[in-house]
Amino acid sequence: MTLETEVEALRRVPLFRGIDETKLRLLAFISQRARYADGEHLCNQGEEGDCAFIILDGEADVRVHTPEGEKVVAKVGQYAIVGEIAILCDVPRTATLVANGDMEVLTVSKDDFLNLLKEFPEVSLEVMRTLAQRLEKTTQDLAAMKAGDSAA
Amino acid sequence: MEKSLFKFIWRYSAPQQMVILFITVLSYPVSYILLELPKQITNDAIQGADFPREIFGFEFDQIAYLVLLCFTFLFLVVVSNGLKLVLNIYKGRLGERMLRRLRFELFQRVLRFRLPHFKKVSSGEIIPMITSEVEDVGGFIGEAIALPAYQGGMLFVQIGFIFMQNPLLGLAAVSSYPLQAYIIPKLQRKVVLLSRERVKNIRSVADRVGESITGIPEIHANDASAWHSADLSDRLYKNYKIRFQIFNWKYFIKFLNNFLNQLTPFFFYLIGGYLVIEGELSIGALLAVIAAYKDLAGPWKELLAYYQMVADVDVKYQTVVENFDPPDIYPVSRITSDEIEPLNGDIVFKDVSFSGGAAGQELFDISLTVEEGSDLAVVGQDGSGRSELLQLAAGLLGPNAGRVEIGGQNLDKLPESVLGREIAYVGASVHVWTGTVRDNLYYGLRHRPIRLIERVGEAKSEYARRLTEARETANPEYDLEAGWEDLEAAGVEDQEELDGKALDVIQLIGLSNDVYRMGLQSRLDPKRDEHLAERILAVRHALADRVAQDSQVQGLVELWNIDRFNHSATLVENILFAAPADPARSFDDLAGDRDVVEFLEETNLKSQLVSIGLRIAETMVELFSNVSGDSGLLGNYSFITLDELPEFERIVRAGRSENEKLGLKDADRERLIGLAFKLIPARHRLGVLSKDMEENIVKARHVFRERIEKDGKDFVTFDPNRYVPPMTIEGNLLFGRPRVDRRDARERIDRLIRSLVEEMDLRLPITRAGLDFHVGVSGSRLSAGQRRRVALARALLKNASYFVLDETLTGLNEEDKAARKVIREQLRGRTLLFGTSNMAVAEEFSDSVVLDQGRKVEARSEEFAAAT
Repeated sequence: MTLETEVEALRRVPLFRGIDETKLRLLAFISQRARYADGEHLCNQGEEGDCAFIILDGEADVRVHTPEGEKVVAKVGQYAIVGEIAILCDVPRTATLVANGDMEVLTVSKDDFLNLLKEFPEVSLEVMRTLAQRLEKTTQDLAAMKAGDSAA
Repeated sequence: MEKSLFKFIWRYSAPQQMVILFITVLSYPVSYILLELPKQITNDAIQGADFPREIFGFEFDQIAYLVLLCFTFLFLVVVSNGLKLVLNIYKGRLGERMLRRLRFELFQRVLRFRLPHFKKVSSGEIIPMITSEVEDVGGFIGEAIALPAYQGGMLFVQIGFIFMQNPLLGLAAVSSYPLQAYIIPKLQRKVVLLSRERVKNIRSVADRVGESITGIPEIHANDASAWHSADLSDRLYKNYKIRFQIFNWKYFIKFLNNFLNQLTPFFFYLIGGYLVIEGELSIGALLAVIAAYKDLAGPWKELLAYYQMVADVDVKYQTVVENFDPPDIYPVSRITSDEIEPLNGDIVFKDVSFSGGAAGQELFDISLTVEEGSDLAVVGQDGSGRSELLQLAAGLLGPNAGRVEIGGQNLDKLPESVLGREIAYVGASVHVWTGTVRDNLYYGLRHRPIRLIERVGEAKSEYARRLTEARETANPEYDLEAGWEDLEAAGVEDQEELDGKALDVIQLIGLSNDVYRMGLQSRLDPKRDEHLAERILAVRHALADRVAQDSQVQGLVELWNIDRFNHSATLVENILFAAPADPARSFDDLAGDRDVVEFLEETNLKSQLVSIGLRIAETMVELFSNVSGDSGLLGNYSFITLDELPEFERIVRAGRSENEKLGLKDADRERLIGLAFKLIPARHRLGVLSKDMEENIVKARHVFRERIEKDGKDFVTFDPNRYVPPMTIEGNLLFGRPRVDRRDARERIDRLIRSLVEEMDLRLPITRAGLDFHVGVSGSRLSAGQRRRVALARALLKNASYFVLDETLTGLNEEDKAARKVIREQLRGRTLLFGTSNMAVAEEFSDSVVLDQGRKVEARSEEFAAAT
């Protein structure tokens, strides 16, 4: 896979949907490409997060510590971006990511991503829009839940 | 040291000055005849009569006479110029020798300064004194005696001639001399004073520049550039003012001189004319006197110029020398004496007082005895006199009152050949010398040349010349190339054993991990240690086996294989499958290498590389042209720096251009190839390399290999069965690249290498290779902790009987504690003084003394511990 195919993949990531092609190429270029074999950890819950992952191929299990031990709570697949919260605000990793089968991943380091945002404000705007939409959705969900609660 | 330049010159070069004078005088008749002969040729030989002439019993007709005179002329031309040549070379050599003597003497005096003196002088001042300021002295020395003697003699003869013609006119001729002799020195005095000021000013400029360089991070951190600029600019203005005044005076003196010189003809014409008219002097005599007076002007001018030069050079000499004559300077014998005498007995301080010139550097009336073979902690805060006491015990300082003795011998009177070998000292601030780790460890053993080397043929006679010159100039005759390590003192048989001992010592003090890492990064010359190279190859093969068997490891590394493209390595490594013999060569440099270019043309890779380079450049320009330079993105990821970007934009435009004239130049192609060379396909993923191209590259390797095998001194091919000297030892062990597209591949491979190295017992030899690691300027490539440990290892290797350690490994952490224990064990039976500011550390030692404000106080340990 080359830069061009990575750009294709990035375009499918919702967070980057509105960003123009050259910026995506730059983002792809400054990211690191990594392969993970089945069972290898991308990151561990609780540790300091310094990069986000964009899954180009394969899928990963999202595991969380629970009182009953580690549990798979979700799966993330192609074109998903994971760990982006950690690079936007300094919080420890909220889950462990384990490769489920071979994976191709693009890693964006925190510093580079922030540099990119600084460099191109329109990218920040796009990121903000996406996050706001998410927030909006979460709020609606919450409201719906609350309404459901009171109805019940 | 001689206070005046002439005393210095006379003392060390009187016979040579006489030779110069003799040759100068000898040349006088020759040049006189040389001037006279042309007249005789025209008047006598060409226009003359009465031929044939008889000379020395031979008869000459006119033609033969002419030929004789002309050949005499030719002969004299040769003799006269030959004499000049001999004289100039002789003077030049004398000057250089005297300069060498002077400079060496000055440096030796620096070595003899007492330590407190260095608080008053800075290297920024001392360096120009020894280097540039005395430079002029060398040029002057050859002229010092001969010129005034010769020109003075000439002047005297001419004046005598005038006096013989007419005493009155003689008086007129010299009438201005008393005036000149009175006024000019007065004026010159002003110039001399200004010159002194100028020398001091330029010294302060040098000092400031030096200090700015040492303190450069402070300047930037405090935005103090403006202040330093203003400070220097101010000094430069002073310099300008001084120099301008000097010019003014110099030219005024010249003006006055010329005026006074031309005043004399005025008197000639007036008095001489009057005398002629009155009939008391013949017109012929007057003309002769005037002609003679013209001849006076030459020597007189020379003498004046000489006088001004003496004034200038002498003041330079004095302003330099006065700085090298402090009253308390150590005698020469302290540093040159070869006396070796073991020290035994107790260290005894008898009513010792010392003052370093500032508060906190004083000791008052200290008396103490340290028994031979015991250990003592010297406790005190910085400024309590602790460091001074320890330096006194090491013989580095001399007390102002009282005595410091070891076994009844006064340390202040002992030469360094005893002190520096019998006492090992590691101070609060250590110095690591520019050189290798090994140089630094053995520094304490390099007292004198010990194992002299045998020289034959040319080298032998060259060495003999070197020795003669050294003797001529009172320089030492030590042979720098000899073996200086005192193996006997270190208690070993040969260099091999010494290395072994050094490795033991660095292991003991916890430096061996660091040196091992340096070893991995260093380059080994397999010719010097074939055995180690072979063992490294063995590890390489074991590693290759591991990679072949273990699929986990296989995914982490791409080993060098001539038939396979390595995606984690640069394109240039892939193409050449070889490393340049000089590892410092850059990619661009390789792109212009004649061998490489010819090879690329031969294999048709060149045009493809240019187009790859062009595509990379296009991508870089596209990606980064909108990125500002300060974002850091460019520096971290681009192949191209911000400065190069416009240049590559131009190249990209040229590459796209259809027009032949505007197209790529050869230099552009070279740059593009250099760019392509940097590509690491797996990291950069630019998709500029097709499978076919990879195959072509792999095929081309064989062609380059053949080329190198024919006549390649500049490249070394990658051969799994051979050691590759330009690669680091680590590179040779792995013989491949950790995959760049696997996270943590490097760390995991490093661990694997380390375990294999341990398994195959290679750790020690690689650590030993680390001894060749270059520590940078004054140890700048070592951390502060490493420097301190190097200094400690140096002291331990010296095998002295007395150890003085100040503020060394005094931490309370486990690591330092363990190191102190090791040191105490190592030094059991020897005398150890250990300086620390911490009472808890002191309690590890069998006895302690506590210092407070320069006085010995009762060791009230609880109180002291509470205070700290």
